Amino acid sequence: MIQLAWLIPLFPLLGFLVIGMLNKRLPVSLSGAIASLSVFLSFVVSVIIFNEIHQVGSVPERILMFDWINVGDLNIPFSFLIDRLSVIMLLVITGVGFLIHVYSIGYMQHEQDHSRFFSYLNLFIFFMLLLVLGANYIVMFAGWEGVGLCSYLLIGFWFKYTEYNNAAKKAFIMNRIGDLGFLLGIFLIYTTFGSVSYQEVFNAAKGFPDGDAAITAITLLLFVGAMGKSAQIPLYTWLPDAMAGPTPVSALIHAATMVTAGIYMVIRSNVLYTLAPYSSEIVAIVGLVTAVFAATIGLKQNDIKKVLAYSTVSQLGYMFVALGVGAYDTALFHVVMHAFFKALLFLGAGSVIHAMSGEQDIRYMGGLKKKLPITHITFLIGTLAIAGVFPFAGFFSKDEILSKVYAFSPFMFVVLMFTSALTAIYMFRLYWLTFYGSFRGTEQQRTHLHESPSSMTMPLIILALLSTIGGFLGMPEVFHVPHYFSEFLSSIIYRKAELTLPESSELMVMGGSLTMVVLIIIMTYNHYVKKAVMPETNEGELRGFQKVLSHKYYIDEIYSALITKPIDWLASFSYKRIELGVIDRIVNGSGYILNGISSLLRYVQTGSIGTYVFGMVIGIILLVALTMIH
Amino acid sequence: MNALIVIACLGIAAMMSEVLGFKKLLLPLVAIGLISVVGLFVMDWNTSIRYYHDMLYFDNYAIAFSAMVTVLTALWLIMSKEYFISTTSKAEHAALILFCLTGAIVMISYSDLSMLFIGIEILSISLYVLAASNKHDLRSNEAGLKYFLMGAFATGFLLFGITLIYGASGSFNLQEIANYLSKNSEHLPMFVYAGVLLMLVGLLFKVSAAPFHFWAPDVYEGSPTLVTAFMSTIVKTAAFAAFYRLFATCFSDLSGWWGETLAIVAALTMLVGNVLAVMQQNFKRMLAYSSIAHAGYMLMAIVAMNHISAGAIFLYTSAYSIASLGAFACLHALGANDNEKIINLRGFIAKQPFNAGLLCLAMLSLAGIPPLAGFFAKYYLFYGVIQSGYLWLVLVAVLSSLIGVYYYFRVIYTMFLPREEEDGVLPKISGGHKILLTIVAILSLLMGIFPGILQGIL
Repeated sequence: MIQLAWLIPLFPLLGFLVIGMLNKRLPVSLSGAIASLSVFLSFVVSVIIFNEIHQVGSVPERILMFDWINVGDLNIPFSFLIDRLSVIMLLVITGVGFLIHVYSIGYMQHEQDHSRFFSYLNLFIFFMLLLVLGANYIVMFAGWEGVGLCSYLLIGFWFKYTEYNNAAKKAFIMNRIGDLGFLLGIFLIYTTFGSVSYQEVFNAAKGFPDGDAAITAITLLLFVGAMGKSAQIPLYTWLPDAMAGPTPVSALIHAATMVTAGIYMVIRSNVLYTLAPYSSEIVAIVGLVTAVFAATIGLKQNDIKKVLAYSTVSQLGYMFVALGVGAYDTALFHVVMHAFFKALLFLGAGSVIHAMSGEQDIRYMGGLKKKLPITHITFLIGTLAIAGVFPFAGFFSKDEILSKVYAFSPFMFVVLMFTSALTAIYMFRLYWLTFYGSFRGTEQQRTHLHESPSSMTMPLIILALLSTIGGFLGMPEVFHVPHYFSEFLSSIIYRKAELTLPESSELMVMGGSLTMVVLIIIMTYNHYVKKAVMPETNEGELRGFQKVLSHKYYIDEIYSALITKPIDWLASFSYKRIELGVIDRIVNGSGYILNGISSLLRYVQTGSIGTYVFGMVIGIILLVALTMIH
Repeated sequence: MNALIVIACLGIAAMMSEVLGFKKLLLPLVAIGLISVVGLFVMDWNTSIRYYHDMLYFDNYAIAFSAMVTVLTALWLIMSKEYFISTTSKAEHAALILFCLTGAIVMISYSDLSMLFIGIEILSISLYVLAASNKHDLRSNEAGLKYFLMGAFATGFLLFGITLIYGASGSFNLQEIANYLSKNSEHLPMFVYAGVLLMLVGLLFKVSAAPFHFWAPDVYEGSPTLVTAFMSTIVKTAAFAAFYRLFATCFSDLSGWWGETLAIVAALTMLVGNVLAVMQQNFKRMLAYSSIAHAGYMLMAIVAMNHISAGAIFLYTSAYSIASLGAFACLHALGANDNEKIINLRGFIAKQPFNAGLLCLAMLSLAGIPPLAGFFAKYYLFYGVIQSGYLWLVLVAVLSSLIGVYYYFRVIYTMFLPREEEDGVLPKISGGHKILLTIVAILSLLMGIFPGILQGIL
C-alpha cells in the first residue's frame, strides 16, 4: 500500500482540475462536495499507510515517481518519502483539511465564486502534501512555492478590495524573502554534499564535526526560509494581514498547515540542526522573542481574527523554541495539537462572524453564548486548550515545551511562562468579550443572529473532541505512561537532546502554569464580565504602552520607512534616470541606427541586372582576396 | 531510386494529362504519387545503394532530405490547389513542379559532379519558367528573365569550378576527388583552389548568400506567391543539401582554407537579410529577405562541419521550410499584389483568431522562440558552430536573430492593431490554407518538443 502513496496528492490535484475546469457550471454544494471528497480519499489512504508504518520495524520507503531534472551531473528524481514524520503530517493535513473543506461548504454557500475557492483549496492541499511527501529538498521546495502561491491566491480571494490585494501581495513578498534564504540553503546543501536527497545529505552530514561552518550556514539559510513561511520575527507581519482571506483559509493555511511548514522543514533537517548548535541557539532565541512579542500585541487587538493571528505567530514561536533546544518531537507534538485547537478557534471565529453578518470586531459582539450554543462550547474548549488547562490538548504539548525549556535554560523558561500567561489573558479576553456580557452590535445584527448550519458545526465538534483528548498521545513522564508521540518519532530524530527534569521540578512546572492560568481566568472574568470593562472604541484614548501595543509596535510603519520607502525611491530613480535616460535611449538608438542602415542599404537593390552582376563580381573579388589571406 | 523514377513519370503523366484529357484527375494523382514516394523513401532507409556506376548514392542523408522535400512539396500542394484550377496551363505547372522535385532529388543524392550539374539545371530551368508563369504580370516576366540571366551567370562559375577540379583529379566522382585531395594535400596545384572557389560562388548564388543574393528579392517578389513559396522552401532545402554534401564529402579536408571565408559570408548574409527585412512594408518582400537571412544561418552548418552539423542543417531546413510554408499560406491568402502590405494584417486576430494564432506560431518559429522548432534548430546549429570554434560567428548570429525578432514580431503586433478605413482585405483563408496552417503549427510544436528526433537521425 505504501507504494500507492502517490494517490494521496493525486486526489486533490484531480479535484483542483475538475472543479477548476467546470468552474461556474458547478453548484456550490457540488464543487464543495468534490473538493471534500478528494481530500477525504487522501485521508483514507493516509490512514491506511499510517497503519502500515505504525508496525514495529517498518522502514522509511522511497517512491520514485519519475526522473525530474537530469542535467549534466545534476540528477533530481521526483520521489516521495514515506516515514514516520511525513505520515503524521499527512494525517494532519488531510484530516484537518477535510474538516475545513466540509466547513467551507456551509461558510461559502452565499459566495458566487465558490468553485474558484474550492479549486484553490484543493490545489493548496496538493502542494502541501507535495511539501511533506518529497524525498528531497527540491520537491519540498516545489510544494513550498506552491503553497505560497495558493496562500496568495486565497488571501486575495476577494480581489475587488485593494486592501485584500495588498495583504496578499505582502504575504507573497515576505515569503519570497524567506524563500530566497531557503533556496540559497538548498544551493549550499548541493555544493556541500553533492546531493539534495534527504537520505544522502543526512548520511553525509553525519560524518561532519559538530559546529561545522558549512552546516551552520546551511541551517541558518534554511531557517530564513522557515522565518518567512512560519511568520517569525522579522518576517511575521504578513500573517496578521493574511486574515483578509476567507476564514476557512485562515484556519487551514494560516493556522493549521502551511505556517507549520517551516517547523516541519527544521524537524526534517534535524540532523543538520543537531550538528549546528549555534544555529539552534538562534532558532530558539528568534522563537522566544517572537512568542512574547506577538503575545503582547495580541493583548490589544480588537479584531477576532487578528487576535488569533497574533496568537498563531506566538504559538509558532513556541514551536521554534522547542526546535532550538533540540526537542524536535515536542515541537511536532505541539504542531499537531496546535492544528487541532487553532483550526477549531478559527472555525469558531468564522462561525461567529457568519452569525454577525461579517462583523469581526469584538467590541461590537458580546452575549453570544445563548444564540450560538455549539460555537460557544467548542470555542471554549479551544480557548482552554490554547491556554493550557488540563486535560485539553494544549496543556500537554505546552507543558512539555515548558519543561524541556526549563531543563535547557531557566531564563528562557521564565520568558516562556510569561508568554503563556499573556496567551491566557488575551484568549480569555477574547472569549469573555465575545460570548458574555450584553450584545453590543446593531439591532439588525441582533435579529440575524443564528447558529451555523451543521456542515459548519460538525467540524467544530470533531475538532473540539480532538482538542480535548488529543493531548493524551503525549503524557508527561511523571505519569509513567509511555509518551506515544515521542516513541513513534524516535527513529526520525538523529540525536535526542537530554532534557529531562527531576520529577519534582516537572510537577512544579505543571502545577505552576495550571494555577497561573486558573488565576488569569478568574481575573479576566472579573475584569471583562463583572466590571464589564470594554476596550476603548476611540483609538485616541489609548495612552503610552497600550497605544504602542495597539499599533503593533509600529512595526509596519518602521518597515515602511526603513525598507519600502528606500526601495521605492531606488525604483523610481532607476526608472526615471536609468531606464528612461540610459537603457531606453540605447535600445531606441540601436533601433534608429538599424532603420537607417536598412533604408540606406535598400538603394543597393536597384532592380537593374547590370548592378547585380557588378555586385557579384565585387563579391567574387572579395572572396578571392579573403581566401588569399589564409 | 524508385521514388525518383516515380516522380519523373508523374511529371510526364502530368504533361500528358492535357492531351489525354484526364486533367480532373491530375491533383489526386499527384497527391497519391507524392505520398507513395515518401513511402518508397522510408522503405529505402538504411540501404545506402549506389546507382548507375556511382552516379547517384542514396545514403541516409540523401533519403532524409529527399523525403523531406517530397513532404514539403505535398504540403505546398495543399495550399496550391487553386493554382491548378484557376490558371489556364495547369498541366504544365504541375509537370514543372514535379520536374523541379526531380531535379531537387537528383541534386540531393548525387555522387558525381555531373549529376550535381544536371540536377541543378533540371531544377533551375523549370523554375525560370515557373517564375514567369504569370504571363500577364509584367513583374512575373521580369522575375523569370532576371532569374534566368543571373542563374546562367552563376551556372557558368559552377561549371568552371567543376572543370578545374576535374583537371586536377581526373574524376567527377565525389569519392575519388576526396581521395585525390587527401592524398595530395601537401602539394595541391593552385587551380584546385580556384576550382573550389568557383564552385563555392556558384553554390552561394543558388542559396542566395550575400553578396550573391541580389536576384533573390526581385525574383521572390515578382514570381507568383506560390512559386515564391516553393523556391524559398523546397528549392532552398535541396540547394543546401547539395551544398553540404559537396563540402562534407569532397572539401572537408580543405576546411581550414575556406572555413573562415565561408564564416564571413554567412555572417554577412544573415546581417544583410535581417537588416534589409526590417524596413520592408511588403509582406512578400520581407519574407524574401528573411529567407536570405535564414540562408546565412544554414551556411553556419557548413562552416561548422562536424559530427552534429548534418543533423543540425536537416533540422534547420525542415523547421524553416515548414514555418515558411505557413507564412506563405497567409501571404497567398492575402491575395493580389497590391494587397500584400503587412499593414493589411491589422485586426487579423480580432476577426479570425484561430488563423491568426496559427500565423503567430509560424512567425514565432521563424524568429526562433522556444518551444517551437525554430528555436531548437538554431540551438543545435549554434552549438555545432561553437564546438568548431567559431564563437564570433555565433555572436553575430545571435545579434542578427534579435533583428529578426523585430520584424517577425512586427507582423504579430500588426495583427493585434485595430482595423482602419484604408486597410485592404484580410487574408481569405480557404480550407486548404487552414489545413496547411494547422499542420504547420502542429509540426512546429512537435519538432520543438522533440527536436532530437530529426536532428538525431543524421
